[in-house]
Amino acid sequence: MFKEFRTMTWYIKKHYYRYLLGIIAVLIVDGLQLFLPKILGWFADDVQNGTITFRLIREYALMIIGVALGMFIFRFFWRYFINGAARHLEFELRDMLVKHFLKLSPSFYNYKKTGDLMAHATNDIKSVRMAMGPAIVMSIDAFILSTATIVMMIYTVGWKLTVIALLPMPFLALVVTRFGKMIHNRFKKVQEAFSLLTDVTQENISGIRVVKSFAQEQREIARFHTVNKNKFDLNMNLTKVWGLFDPLVEFIAAISFLLVLAYGSILVLNNQISLGDFIAFYGYLAMMTWPMMAFGWVYNMLQRGSASLARINQLLAEVPAISDINSNNSSDSNANNNFDMNSNYSSDSLATNKHPSNTVASFFRGNNITFKNLSFSYVIGQQPVLKDINLVIPSGSTQAILGKTGSGKSSIVNLLIRQYNPPASSIFIGNNDLLTIPLAILSQGIGYVPQDSFLFSTSIYENIALGNKASTPEQIYEAARIADIHDNILELPNGYDTIVGERGVTLSGGQKQRISIARAIMRDPEIFIMDDSLSAVDIQTEERILAKLETFMEQRTTIIIAHRISTVQQADHIIYLDEGRIIEQGTHQQLLQLRGQYYQMYQQQQLEKELDGFLQKDVNPYEI
Amino acid sequence: MKYSVSQETGLGKPYDRKLMKRLLTFIRPYRTLFAITFILVMVIAAAQLVRPYLIKVAIDDHINGLYIPMIVVEDNDLHNTDINHLVSNQTDNIVTFTINDELLIRNSTLEPAPNIRQIVKANEQFLLINGIVESPTNPATVTEISANEYLVEGLHAIPLTTEQVEQIKAYDIKSLYKLAIIYLAIIIVAFIVGYIQIYLLQYLGQRIVYDIREQAFAHLQKMSLSYFDTNPVGRLVTRITNDTENINEMYSSVIISLFKDILIIVGIMGVLLYMDWRLAIVSFSTVPLMLFISFFYRRKARAAFRDLRVHLARINSNIQESLSGIKVIRAFGLQKDKFDEFSEINQAHLKANMRELFQFSLFRPSMDMVYALTLALLLWFGGGSVIKGAIQFGVLYAFIQYSEQFFRPIRDLAEKYNIMQSAMASAERLFELLDEPEQISDPAQPKSLAIPVQGFIKFNNVTFSYDQQHEVLKDVSFQINAGETIAIVGATGSGKTTILHLLSRFYDVQTGSIEIDGIDIRQLPKQQLRKLIGIVQQDVFLFTGDIKANIHLNNPDISEQQVIEIAKYVNAHEFIEKLPNKYHEPVTERGSTLSTGQRQLLAFARTLVHDPRILLLDEATSNIDTYTEKLIQDALPKLSKGRTTLIVAHRLSTIQNADRILVIHKGRLIEQGTHEELLQKQSYYYTLYKMQYQQS
Repeated sequence: MFKEFRTMTWYIKKHYYRYLLGIIAVLIVDGLQLFLPKILGWFADDVQNGTITFRLIREYALMIIGVALGMFIFRFFWRYFINGAARHLEFELRDMLVKHFLKLSPSFYNYKKTGDLMAHATNDIKSVRMAMGPAIVMSIDAFILSTATIVMMIYTVGWKLTVIALLPMPFLALVVTRFGKMIHNRFKKVQEAFSLLTDVTQENISGIRVVKSFAQEQREIARFHTVNKNKFDLNMNLTKVWGLFDPLVEFIAAISFLLVLAYGSILVLNNQISLGDFIAFYGYLAMMTWPMMAFGWVYNMLQRGSASLARINQLLAEVPAISDINSNNSSDSNANNNFDMNSNYSSDSLATNKHPSNTVASFFRGNNITFKNLSFSYVIGQQPVLKDINLVIPSGSTQAILGKTGSGKSSIVNLLIRQYNPPASSIFIGNNDLLTIPLAILSQGIGYVPQDSFLFSTSIYENIALGNKASTPEQIYEAARIADIHDNILELPNGYDTIVGERGVTLSGGQKQRISIARAIMRDPEIFIMDDSLSAVDIQTEERILAKLETFMEQRTTIIIAHRISTVQQADHIIYLDEGRIIEQGTHQQLLQLRGQYYQMYQQQQLEKELDGFLQKDVNPYEI
Repeated sequence: MKYSVSQETGLGKPYDRKLMKRLLTFIRPYRTLFAITFILVMVIAAAQLVRPYLIKVAIDDHINGLYIPMIVVEDNDLHNTDINHLVSNQTDNIVTFTINDELLIRNSTLEPAPNIRQIVKANEQFLLINGIVESPTNPATVTEISANEYLVEGLHAIPLTTEQVEQIKAYDIKSLYKLAIIYLAIIIVAFIVGYIQIYLLQYLGQRIVYDIREQAFAHLQKMSLSYFDTNPVGRLVTRITNDTENINEMYSSVIISLFKDILIIVGIMGVLLYMDWRLAIVSFSTVPLMLFISFFYRRKARAAFRDLRVHLARINSNIQESLSGIKVIRAFGLQKDKFDEFSEINQAHLKANMRELFQFSLFRPSMDMVYALTLALLLWFGGGSVIKGAIQFGVLYAFIQYSEQFFRPIRDLAEKYNIMQSAMASAERLFELLDEPEQISDPAQPKSLAIPVQGFIKFNNVTFSYDQQHEVLKDVSFQINAGETIAIVGATGSGKTTILHLLSRFYDVQTGSIEIDGIDIRQLPKQQLRKLIGIVQQDVFLFTGDIKANIHLNNPDISEQQVIEIAKYVNAHEFIEKLPNKYHEPVTERGSTLSTGQRQLLAFARTLVHDPRILLLDEATSNIDTYTEKLIQDALPKLSKGRTTLIVAHRLSTIQNADRILVIHKGRLIEQGTHEELLQKQSYYYTLYKMQYQQS
């Protein structure tokens, strides 16, 4: 269980002063705490012996205030230092985790649920925090306090009464540990029952159409009743144990007091100890209860923290699939990417330092993009999604890719922007194998408009600028004008400052697409890629955008993936994909003459146009 | 799951009389149990109150018992007892001792008088004095006048034999044992009653939550689809699951324990006032300070806590966004920008976290500080009273112990306040759901269809809009004869599926009407209507369970044999048999293990098992492999045989096999007729046909 925590030593080393100061404060508090019962004991003896005076009373009262003040100050300190250290840990761990998330490639995310990853970044980190903060304090405090208290007890009343009074204490620790475990297990079951309840509810609501159409309401209510009842039963099952916990702990502690009352008072009567000793001892005993319970809690906290830490460690050990190959054996260092070496993680860059534009240009300018016998499958051993692709895209030309859904169009682009790794020597830019080009250069040189036009929930302005801090408003507006979205943006309530997404305005699919086109234009890329980026706009808008893009595209290599012939017919070269293969290629005219798939698609789309035209003429359908 | 800071985190009023009243109505079925719990709580409170008092009795009456002043009483019955033998008699709780032929009664509140005796301890010897001294364990002067006579502070004294002292002590020890037994009895009772009380309380809370959930869920089932359209799934799930859980806190942590706290506070106040009212006031003097700190902290902490939650929500949504936008982040090389952005938010969270920690770190120690202050005050004033002999030490000690018990519930008040607040907010949201009126309700006087139902359908000038803004269907009228099969065709979004929805009364039409066998469907009981209609939707929803259950939908009247027969009939049997567990193969929510076509076949079986009079079918548009496609095409006529059938059709064969075709465009019915008729017209359908089906 403690093995996992070894990976945290770097953290303790880094923040040792917090822990050290905190522990010193704990020690001081414990020392002061031992004073209180003693003061009461002295007072009791003075009363008993008739030696009490007003002066002494004042002294005792002031002593109590003094001790309390000291405890107040140092209690604050240890809480602030040690819990503070733990909260810093939460911060640093989360930073590390997110940084790591950003390094991992899409293939990782294909098999991880976002919800799980979120849980690691929140719940797991929190339980590590509990283990590295409160658990540490509590264990030190409990240990010191209980030892010191026992020493004080023996010193005050001798070992005999101490032993008798402490007899029930081990039971207390045992109960806390055992019950802690049992409660934890049953609580887990309750949580499972709760998620089952959630699942059934969720399923019912998602499938409400089926429920309603088959008049299944009553049966659904019965089903809900089962899981609801189950939750109730398991909850009561938990209560059976959990409800016993507090009364039992109180009972065991009370037995100690009972023993002191029965045995200690007789010692007083027989003059073996003074009444003051008895009072002080009673106070010490009260102080023993807490550490005994703390041992149990600490154990449970550490256990949970350890499990969470194991999950986090595993996640951090995940090697990014895609990284710069030529950078100093990065895959090796990533494999050990554990906490130990992360003490200096802030200097461990995310490999996106901006390169001067001439360096970027040197990789692209005048260079053709070449695909050589490219075959690719997402999962090794599975049906390839691309087969034997051979294609040269001359620098500055416009390449169009057509094909049915699932024919591999997007895969070509995904490889080119290295969302996935292509096989070695299959894609070249100029003479450079794509794999050897630094990722930063690649992302700077390529302007990519993705299929789903994902926007960040920030202002439209920032969405277009996107990391390009040097951009001027005029540049942004110009990019937006080219993407035919400038006027639309100005019509929004806050213009360019309008926040998009969940907490802002909801944009239409077409608007989102055009903003993401503007965003790619803004990069002033060497290669411009549009992955089905005009699907949500109507034909007229598409024509307008294409016309505006013309000059922009002239100066750079452009790749357009599309479904509409109208989008691609001006392209210099068109390929038609089917099941991962290029089955037709050429210019628009050449492809039409082939009378193949491309021609069929063209025919169909012509009809569609006709249909639209037909409907515009047919203003009054009631005549039929 | 979206992590938003919006309404879900809202902190509302902590107390709302109307809400509270309504929450209390849920207790009604369990009022007896509730009353029992209250009584148990009283027992526990009493047990808690008695314990320090027992210690006081032990100290004042027995540990210090030897030195308690005694008064001489005349009682002839006891005169003849052995001089040296000490008799103790405990009738009516009055303890009497016979020492040297005098009958003595302990009484701690005696003023100096001629017939008063007290035992003092001097030079390891116990003396019985005529009168009382201030400090019996340490008298100021002791002078020996003769062999068995002393003067203690000027009072005449005679020594007690060891035997006599031992006998008195024996009495006190015996009494202490009795006290210990009472103490033991009390803690055993407290333990048992405590456990029962916690159990009952949890039972009540959980039971009420259970009831509320059942009620809320059942209510949800009555809501129309438009309610589900406008309320995200996540929100509704939260209402049923989390909000109800919050309300539980209200019952189990607030109502009862507040009662317990008040009981203890009042009880302690009573005991303290009874023991010594002046010292009691000293104890209470720090309460305002305590309350002030608690509520001051609560206010501060609430702000800090809310701040923290906002920051955490921002962290969560930032991570979530980065995870879902990872592709764009990578393509644009934004890793560093995104990390910096996150780090900034994380830093802000840390700051808020440390601020909250700072406040919290101050709060608890300051509470302990106030307690220590009370202790000092008690010592100061109480100690003075002890010196003056106004109170006994045990009383002061009891005060000290009670003070600790007294402050705990006061300290917890602030926490309860917070629980109350979140429970109230949850209750408000939940009641909102419960108060949502049923939009599509059964008619007051439902009509009944003549049996057997024919299945004649008529749409009269139906206009409908989902959002009251955009009309999806405009003035649509048509009729379908019993047993006829109709194909509805048109472009995506033209309103085809809506026709099916309206006919099943998922929504009510805005204008116009829909009739079955001449009766407006709004006049029919919903149950009857839905039993009449079978609908196969495009996106076939499968429930968690196995294949079999997804066909018979847990209807106990349908046997497994029937399920298999029908599966065979609609060509689903073959693929089911190929599954590892056949009919018992588990299915996941979205049925990802099954193909679209297979799911459609399952839906066919499901529908046919329920034998509807009218069949509504929304054909799947997505790609179905040719083999399954054939199976579906083969099953379709079997399905529609003898039923009025309405198909939103995408496949040519389906359309061609239909008796009639309705062509819908942009919410209007623009053409209808048989395939041939419509083709001859060379109008809209003709073009549509050429476009979509010519090549295939």
